[in-house]
Amino acid sequence: MLPWTVQAGETPAPENAYLYIGWPNDGEILRTGGGIPFRVWFGLRHMGVAPAGVDVPNTGHHHLLVNTPVPPLDEPIPADENHIHFGRGQTQTLLTLPRGKHTLQLIMGDQAHVPHNPPVVSRQITITVE
Amino acid sequence: MQVWARGVLVTLLLASFPGVAQNMPAPEGVELSIIWPPDGEVIQGGKLWVRMGLEGMGIAPAGINMEGTGHHHFLIDTDLPPLDEPIPSDRHHIHFGAGQTEARLTGLAPGEHTLQLMLGDHEHFPHDPPVVSEKITITVLPY
Repeated sequence: MLPWTVQAGETPAPENAYLYIGWPNDGEILRTGGGIPFRVWFGLRHMGVAPAGVDVPNTGHHHLLVNTPVPPLDEPIPADENHIHFGRGQTQTLLTLPRGKHTLQLIMGDQAHVPHNPPVVSRQITITVE
Repeated sequence: MQVWARGVLVTLLLASFPGVAQNMPAPEGVELSIIWPPDGEVIQGGKLWVRMGLEGMGIAPAGINMEGTGHHHFLIDTDLPPLDEPIPSDRHHIHFGAGQTEARLTGLAPGEHTLQLMLGDHEHFPHDPPVVSEKITITVLPY
């Protein structure tokens, strides 16, 4: 059983919804020197995207977790530099990170930024900026 | 407003004010792309996942009227539809009105096929200016 089965928001998500980071790959070394943005592409199957505030079944919007674990699953996802909201329905972004190792992970939020039930979370990946 | 009514309205307005389009405006610098498959890809069998990329705008399901958003339409083996009407809905124009950004295409017959993405607004009209991807060609091989 997943540890979060008892802790989740109230908006249902399809059981087979699949969220992943399409780019970059886990372990990717980005030779951007730390100052150049790189593209992050959000992969989502069996579910749709809708802007924040829009209440349509089987949709949500992307949140990118940068260097942080998954937040509490029964409250709105925080909005700060470690929890980037894509409330206009964006499905990719340009990210600039300093040199070093970083973790990236995606989580869907409902119209009120609360994770779904079950939560739709990607695997956490680690990248290195050189 | 009903789709047909809007079509009539657009036609009337265009007739009286040539060059004034009523389609939802799209911001500058939007980039719509087919992330997968790449141009020239050869696919064994007729089934594949397609990945839709959009930079500079967001996705909203059909029926949601929010500026700066739209939903994907896949054009298969067809040219761009008229820009002042809703994008047709048939086997050559696949709508992703539930806000999908990936989809499983099935049933492509062996041979060459063209694929192109086009964004539509809440009423399936192309934006102004239209948001369109490059047209790519893939080859489907029989199993």
